[in-house]
Amino acid sequence: MSTIDLPHQDDQQGRTPAPVVDNYLTYTRGIKSWIFTLDHKRIGVMYMVSVLVSFLVGGTFAILLRTELLPPGKTIVGADMYNQFFTLHGAIMVFLVIIPSIPAALGNFVLPIMLGAKDVAFPRLNLFSYWLWIAGAICAVVSLLMGGFDTGWTFYTPYSTTTETGGVIAVVTGVFILGFSSIFTGMNFIVTIHKLRPPGMTWFRMPLFLWSIYATAMIQVLATPVLAITLLLLIIERTLNIGVFNPSMGGDPVLFQHFFWFYSHPAVYIMILPAMGIISDVIAVHSHRHIFGYTFIAFSSIAIAVFSFLVWGHHMFTSGQSPLMNTIFSLITFSVSIPSAIKVFNWLATLYKGSISLNTAMLYGLSFIFLFTIGGLTGLHLGTLNTDIHLHDTYFVVAHFHYVMMGSALIAMIAGLHHWWPKMTGRMYSEFWGRIGCLLVFIGFNVTFFTQFMLGSQGMPRRYYDYLPEYQVYHVISTIGSYVMALGFVLTAVYLLASIMFGRRAPANPWGGRSLEWQCTSPPPHDNFKTTPRVGNCYDFSAVVWDEKQQGYVVDRSLDPTLNEPADKA
Amino acid sequence: MNRVIAPAMFLFCGASAAFASGGNTPRTFWMPEGASTIAPSIDHVFDMINWVCYFFFALVVIIMFWFMWKYRQRGRIVDAQGPTHNMALELTWTIIPIFIVAAMFFVGFKGFLNIVTPPENSYEIDVVAQKWAWEFKYPNGATSEDLYVPAGQPVKLIMSSRDVLHSLYIKDFRVKQDVIPGRYSYLWFQANEPTLNDDFHWLFCTEYCGFGHSNMNRKVYVLPEDDFAEWVVEQGQWLDKILDEDLYFKAGPKLFVRCVQCHSLDGTPGIGPSWGDHAGQGNIWERTVSGETVFDDGTKLSSLIGPGKAYETPEDYLRTSMLNPGKHLVQGYGNAMAVQALNDRAVDALIGMMKRIDEFDANGKWLKESELVDQEQQ
Repeated sequence: MSTIDLPHQDDQQGRTPAPVVDNYLTYTRGIKSWIFTLDHKRIGVMYMVSVLVSFLVGGTFAILLRTELLPPGKTIVGADMYNQFFTLHGAIMVFLVIIPSIPAALGNFVLPIMLGAKDVAFPRLNLFSYWLWIAGAICAVVSLLMGGFDTGWTFYTPYSTTTETGGVIAVVTGVFILGFSSIFTGMNFIVTIHKLRPPGMTWFRMPLFLWSIYATAMIQVLATPVLAITLLLLIIERTLNIGVFNPSMGGDPVLFQHFFWFYSHPAVYIMILPAMGIISDVIAVHSHRHIFGYTFIAFSSIAIAVFSFLVWGHHMFTSGQSPLMNTIFSLITFSVSIPSAIKVFNWLATLYKGSISLNTAMLYGLSFIFLFTIGGLTGLHLGTLNTDIHLHDTYFVVAHFHYVMMGSALIAMIAGLHHWWPKMTGRMYSEFWGRIGCLLVFIGFNVTFFTQFMLGSQGMPRRYYDYLPEYQVYHVISTIGSYVMALGFVLTAVYLLASIMFGRRAPANPWGGRSLEWQCTSPPPHDNFKTTPRVGNCYDFSAVVWDEKQQGYVVDRSLDPTLNEPADKA
Repeated sequence: MNRVIAPAMFLFCGASAAFASGGNTPRTFWMPEGASTIAPSIDHVFDMINWVCYFFFALVVIIMFWFMWKYRQRGRIVDAQGPTHNMALELTWTIIPIFIVAAMFFVGFKGFLNIVTPPENSYEIDVVAQKWAWEFKYPNGATSEDLYVPAGQPVKLIMSSRDVLHSLYIKDFRVKQDVIPGRYSYLWFQANEPTLNDDFHWLFCTEYCGFGHSNMNRKVYVLPEDDFAEWVVEQGQWLDKILDEDLYFKAGPKLFVRCVQCHSLDGTPGIGPSWGDHAGQGNIWERTVSGETVFDDGTKLSSLIGPGKAYETPEDYLRTSMLNPGKHLVQGYGNAMAVQALNDRAVDALIGMMKRIDEFDANGKWLKESELVDQEQQ
């Protein structure tokens, strides 16, 4: 062994070595350290990358669809191709993008840190659920190689069991697998929230994002198995010709719709509930003030989760379901509007007397309120029985659910992505380009989809390749809007990617947040926290102070009264 | 008390009575022309909901922008002291919407009862949907591709599908109902204003059914009651009135309308094999007579036609192909064709057309029309 200590390379050149900061991105290196990682943060990042790639693919199909619809008749593809495109657009956006986007991607990253935990309760199950997601996605790709599928994302029978396209079984298998990915994530989160909350964090001191993730996880665990068995029955019918849904073999096609919507209506809340959770936190943090009406918001999440199981029949008002059932489902459907309205009013009240910084994340949050209000209110036309008869399966429905699923769920995801981006990557993005991108997306979105309300109420059915000339003006406006929106998303991708390379280093707490994820470094260390921290009220901002040196906020724990109360009280 | 309730009741429920006596309502910003007796009441509920929406949307957005401006961050205020909750306020915005949506449910429900309750004296028309055509059958046995209904009389459609789900939607009537294989569904409407001068209402399929879904639209003609009675008698006999020798060119093209979605005449492959030249085997009649047609199991048609075989004559094979299309599948084509309800004369007409396929253009128009006119003039 040499007795001479060689001076460190950096010191030789006169530079001081950077402080060794533990960081989940650099903790271990190599491709294997990602593939087999049990770190919830890395799994969250892998989910995020996968979801965004899927979003790019689904979005490309959307642009192709809008381009095809510019004039009536054939533009770029034939009817067969068009039918496959809208099916792919729907299936990718629902099963690969929106359902996993917030819970699996953002939730995975943020949830354990918010709890001050080192990881989720079952890290291996977490990794398994990610690879199940990948397996499901591969099945979807395989189905394309086998001839694709043109069933619509709803797989309505008997069309789906008789169509000539060869990829139906493969994609249905994929969705079946994705369902298990979703169930495992949900189960993991339920256990994590129950068992790993830190001292001081009672149920009613949880960040509202956790309440919404909890409500979502309940739906994932309880509803998804119904989809799984339904899809299995569909596969059995298609391969073994056992008549379950096809009347020519003694089955009942309306039964499929009941089964399908028994999952897929709650699935709408799997998409929107975590979005509402993000908005609750984004609005409070960027307004720098306590959320208004915490209890009402928390309970409205649970109420929405419960009601979500009781309203599936409102997708079937014209399906041949009995008028009595229609009446009951219409009545229960209206009950969902109440907790949704409560949330909107509470968010507005949170702005009152706040100190609102109009960051990109906040602009997306405010866009959410605007778009969700339209999406929610137009649900009233569809919940009302006699107007729904006219509007069902027209573009009015298309516009409505895009306002809710994209304008709300996905915009909230983008809000959350910007909110937690500095935490995930350790870099700040350009606020200027962020605001421009948000504006483009917001304007593009409204031009695209508000037009479709008129298109639908004027009677244009959905899933139409060809249409009457009287509808063309609406289609042209809608398509132009979609191009503007696409431009906004491309810009967003550019400045976010640029921030990784050129962005300024993010402080631990760039926005003035109070919950635990803002109290570890950006990006967080591998173990998140060395010891489980005690927490107080995560919406009490009195302990947050601006630190000029760090160019960020810090939480001065000595200032928080709730942190200093005796342990037995909490 | 009544003075308050009565106008409110009119607003919510009385609209249909107020409009029912009038004619069609014109197209508005939101709604297409209203041409049935229930359309005005639906439009009225739609408008009512719209106004609720305008109000709440304006409320939310104005408050949002106002707060955004008034409470924008000035300096580095990091702990704004706003109220954290207000039970009275929160209960207010919980309870008031309950009453509003309850009222909405009620008016929707009341209107819905009208939609699902056909009057007892309704004129019944049977509807059969299949990929991608509608067939309307009238009580006297007449059938049509477009829908003809009498004005001023309730009409009830009794609908079923031969293959997958379809949905019958007439936007100007505001009615829609899924058409399901293996069961009968119904809808009813009453149109008071006849459609004059070749005017019509559109009928759409609104349940996705594959390739031809967006072309499954047909026309709805509302005829004055007397004209309708005349039309339906005429329609019931149109095939019988044609002389046998004229069948192939008079009835053929009319019947071919239901085939053209899948079978071209110029050799272009479609959902089904073209009636023109297919894979160099000749047109439909040539390849049937020669037996050149290849089936999906690789066998040739020639093994089926001839004395002692499955079919005595080529005509027998063609007849079976129309009435039981799934029995033999031409190579490269799936079992996509629905069973055709054709009587013997209709089958005769179509086979006659196949035999003289050269006399028709690519659109199924008979090319010797002028010769016929010449003959008649002589």
